[in-house]
Amino acid sequence: MKYKAVRNIRLCTKDCLCLYVCPTGATDTENSIIDVNKCIGCGDCAKACPSGAISMVPQDYPPQQSKEASILSLSHVLTHHKARQEQLAKQLAQTSSSDELYRLMKAFEKSIRLVNEDILRESGYMLPQSTQVHDLLKTWIQDPPLDDFPRDIAQKLLDMIPCNELPVKRYRCKVCGAIFEIKEGEELICPICQATQDQLEIIDF
Amino acid sequence: MSFYENDYTIKERRTLDKEGGVIMRYVCSICGYVYDESQEQVAFSQLPDSWVCPICKADQSLFVGEEKEKETINLDVSWNDPIVYSTGEEAAICSNLARGCEKQYKDEEMKLFQMLSDYLTSKMEEETEINLKTMEQMLQQDLSQHYPALHHQAEEIEDRGTQRICVWGEKVTSILHSLLMRYQQSQGRFLRDTDIWVCSVCGFVFVGDNPPDLCPVCKVPAWKFEKIEGREQS
Ligand code: SF4
Ligand code: SF4
Ligand SMILES: [Zn+2]
Ligand SMILES: [Zn+2]
Repeated sequence: MKYKAVRNIRLCTKDCLCLYVCPTGATDTENSIIDVNKCIGCGDCAKACPSGAISMVPQDYPPQQSKEASILSLSHVLTHHKARQEQLAKQLAQTSSSDELYRLMKAFEKSIRLVNEDILRESGYMLPQSTQVHDLLKTWIQDPPLDDFPRDIAQKLLDMIPCNELPVKRYRCKVCGAIFEIKEGEELICPICQATQDQLEIIDF
Repeated sequence: MSFYENDYTIKERRTLDKEGGVIMRYVCSICGYVYDESQEQVAFSQLPDSWVCPICKADQSLFVGEEKEKETINLDVSWNDPIVYSTGEEAAICSNLARGCEKQYKDEEMKLFQMLSDYLTSKMEEETEINLKTMEQMLQQDLSQHYPALHHQAEEIEDRGTQRICVWGEKVTSILHSLLMRYQQSQGRFLRDTDIWVCSVCGFVFVGDNPPDLCPVCKVPAWKFEKIEGREQS
């Protein structure tokens, strides 16, 4: 797995040990942000920092654990209900006549959203890089849920965030007739007769 | 439409009556604080209604007697197939992904997901029954049906991530429910001249002049708590 160093400016006490150990000069910048283009991810700065101010942040993430259909359905019952409670709390705050009720309902609104985010994270929306998130963004671009939905934002996100699960393509071997799937980027070779490249053709699912 | 039906036995949450036997220790189901009758002057059942957990301020209904009773509960949860997320759920998916990007130090992506979330939040379908009773019933339904159904299924298939969100979510939902009951009983008096704090990690709500040192649900330190401002300030 590849890593890059990131400095937490709030924790950095400017002891400057990271400047001495970095083999590429990536930690020595005018704006205190470690230069991602120079960093080779060796981790020496993070080990040397006396303030625990540097984290080694992964650049690639493994595919998410897939969730069982039963869990997704039962979670959805909850998330649907929680979203309604959040809206109800918001409206109760708007219509409240006392400061006590206003604050309590504002707290509810915030709390319920946090709980809902947690359930949805466990429903397959943990990683922005996942296929599930990419599929959601694509759906919103092709078929916006509301008339004035900001499709341009969804498109920007889709362009910026790499997908960590490669699309799979299906092939037929013209030599032996075998049908098989290969992930994009992997070597094109027939698992039965070892035929390669031009001897394979892409077919639909 | 699909259904989830199940009968299973859970640990009884409420304490036994006097006749039910001698109970010596009561444990707070939110933070684990123990009220040990042998160490106290007053029996748990004799405590005034205003008595709450000294650590997390959960009320007495959230304490469980150590001698627990078993009870079979019947779960009957239904949903529409296939899963179609509402605007409010989509808003929460986006704010959750904004947090995910923030943790990966992806600032630009974080802002974009937050913009999508803000947009979707502003378009959430309005509720029609705007009263505290509806809120109370909705929270109660989560506690008696929705969480137990999910929790039980997650245990069956050993999905520990889902078990964790059930443990946290049930506690937070319990505390919201009990705050709502206290609000209705006291006309909000217990909130006067003090502050309301929300744990920015798990959503736990705390009433007091200062936030707790550690969140009783997710154990993050006090600075992770956010103070709720009144109408004038916000
Ligand atoms: S070693 Fe740590 S504390 Fe010192 S300058 Fe580098 S990041 Fe900051
Ligand atoms: S990880 Fe290595 S290359 Fe990157 S900033 Fe730290 S010391 Fe320099
Ligand atoms: Zn407690
Ligand atoms: Zn917490």
